[in-house]
Amino acid sequence: SRRFHTSARRPDAKPAPSSERTDQERESPHAGTGKTLATYEDLFEQAARDSRTKATFTRVLEVFCKKDVRRRGHVEFIYAALKKMPEFGVEGDLSVYNRLLDVFPKEVFVPRNYIQRMFNHYPRQQECGVQVLEHMENYGVMPNVETKVLLVQIFGEKSHPVRKYQRLMYWFPRFKHVNPYPVPRELPRDPVDLARLSLQRIAGDLDARVTVYEVQPLARMPSTDLSESGEGLSQLYVVGSQSPSQQTLLSKHNPERPVFVEGPFPLWLRKTCVYYYTVRADPLPPGEKVDEPVDPERNFFYPLELDLDLDRDLGDDDDFDVDEVEEGPVFALCMASSGDQATLGKWISGLQETNPILGRTPTVFRLNPGPREIQASSEPERKEDEDLLQSRKMTQ
Amino acid sequence: MALVTNRLMCIKNSRAYLKASLYPLSNGVPPEQAHTRRYRRPGVPPENIPPWKRINLNFAKGVEGVKKHFGLLKKEMLDRFEGPEGRPLKEHILEQTRVIWEFRGPESLAHWVASSDREIGGKSEAYMKMGRNNLTVLLYGNLCTEVPRDGETRYSGYCSLRSKQLLGAFDRKKHHDWSSFNSLYLRIRGDGRPWMINIAAETYFSHQKDDMYNYFLFTRGGPYWQDVKIPFSKFFLSSRGRIQDSQHPLWLDKINTIGFTLGDKADGPFQLEIDFIGVCNDRAHTEEFAYEKYKRNPEV
Repeated sequence: SRRFHTSARRPDAKPAPSSERTDQERESPHAGTGKTLATYEDLFEQAARDSRTKATFTRVLEVFCKKDVRRRGHVEFIYAALKKMPEFGVEGDLSVYNRLLDVFPKEVFVPRNYIQRMFNHYPRQQECGVQVLEHMENYGVMPNVETKVLLVQIFGEKSHPVRKYQRLMYWFPRFKHVNPYPVPRELPRDPVDLARLSLQRIAGDLDARVTVYEVQPLARMPSTDLSESGEGLSQLYVVGSQSPSQQTLLSKHNPERPVFVEGPFPLWLRKTCVYYYTVRADPLPPGEKVDEPVDPERNFFYPLELDLDLDRDLGDDDDFDVDEVEEGPVFALCMASSGDQATLGKWISGLQETNPILGRTPTVFRLNPGPREIQASSEPERKEDEDLLQSRKMTQ
Repeated sequence: MALVTNRLMCIKNSRAYLKASLYPLSNGVPPEQAHTRRYRRPGVPPENIPPWKRINLNFAKGVEGVKKHFGLLKKEMLDRFEGPEGRPLKEHILEQTRVIWEFRGPESLAHWVASSDREIGGKSEAYMKMGRNNLTVLLYGNLCTEVPRDGETRYSGYCSLRSKQLLGAFDRKKHHDWSSFNSLYLRIRGDGRPWMINIAAETYFSHQKDDMYNYFLFTRGGPYWQDVKIPFSKFFLSSRGRIQDSQHPLWLDKINTIGFTLGDKADGPFQLEIDFIGVCNDRAHTEEFAYEKYKRNPEV
């Protein structure tokens, strides 16, 4: 350790730091001056100690605004606020974003002549404004006219944040309703209602009927895991869905061939993943397929089958030259609180009431180990737990 | 000994310092390497392998390569007598549908590459394998939105499946010609997650090298197959992941690759099963382009 070779110092200047410093002093960055470094994130963390709500967040913003008219350090403050927004749960709230934009001092950053307009006037503040709008874009919050007024007051027209706002207002309305299978923003809290919604979504048939086979009221189970907070509430529910066409398919099924209960398959609704189970049979080998003749009396307005020997020209052929993937028919779908055989057995016995053929058909359970390991064994046909239930007699 | 190593360290550091001072604007990298084809992870020094070291001399591989390329060349020359692009002329003119990729065997996986954000240091995984009875392809894995801590990356969590560039004899670039069609047709079975389809067309200028035409692919989930038909007029232009202000329709005569990306910010496992990908000519669809082509956001 050697001394610094410094130029001639003024007599009242502070002495050069000596090499013998304690560890404590070395840690704090302003050891010599006696100040501590506090970031704007600490302000939020102090507020978070009371509660993490919109009210505390807006209070921090107000405190900052009232502290200084010139709003010194507002860029850093806004970046820290953006980082802390998800913790306070306000990332989807437009009014909070407008208040955040209000932190910028108005009319200071508006360019006043062509030179300022050319040279990216106040680039750091413009970048900060763009970042606020990008945060809004990421969380899918549509800005409103108040945002536009604020941005124009702060940065002037034809600035980067206003351009970004214009892009948002062009593309967001276009892509808002582009999903042919929309998922509601607020998913139902009740697991039975959630199961009903998802079964109606995947059934594929508008005639499908959703039946709740078993719902047991909320039962308090002793939580074995000490780290779990609160009581272990669990609700047993089995919700199934079957459409009339699935019912007819099942009634035509040959009782000697087994029927497979497969699952759990994942279904994502926005950010939540639910699991469903299916009852299906293997596809029939080509020899056993029976094509039933179509009853001509089903429709009197036009013939359902025409025995004409006409061929379509290639220019009129709209079908794809692909062999369809042979898969067995799906007879019913269900969602249950747990994927063990007992719960699913309740579903099967419930199905038996409307489909008596299940009583004579052997049911094989092809269940994957569990939702958590679905990524390891995500192939739907993996047989982990095969339990052959012998032909169940109808017990009613 | 310590003095010698100390000296060497000094020289190395000074060389790095010299380079950084030589090329201050491109982060210490010479400008011709600043815009390389490959992504350079922040903090990783650029690999400066001189061109004479990149040649790989291997006799068996060379013979194999010669056989393969001359075989392809022969096939290309003989295909011309059959008709344009190796198909009979009547078919080329009249066809209204064409199946581009049909996943009926493990060899169809060779045309596709599954990648995830592992390349930028993220923790997502994406794997590709044949599905049920070797009749479909299954893309599965786990998405993790944890951002890699390298100081530059801000968002993370994506997985993608992309087709490889078509190559003719002697590794010449070949393109898909879909000019007689106007919609993309897919048969898929997803798990309810929203995907994005990216089509990369052949470009001329180097500024356009990351240009892609994108559109959403919403899956319903469930055990039934889902038929998706997306007209090419709906694809919007984006570059490096950012939607561009000046939009124009996708030109279908030179398509390089098609890909599927998942980046819906939801951590967890995902699955997508694809049966086939085809293009069709929907005669009822007369829209040329879905977005405005005039110059929005004009300059100051």
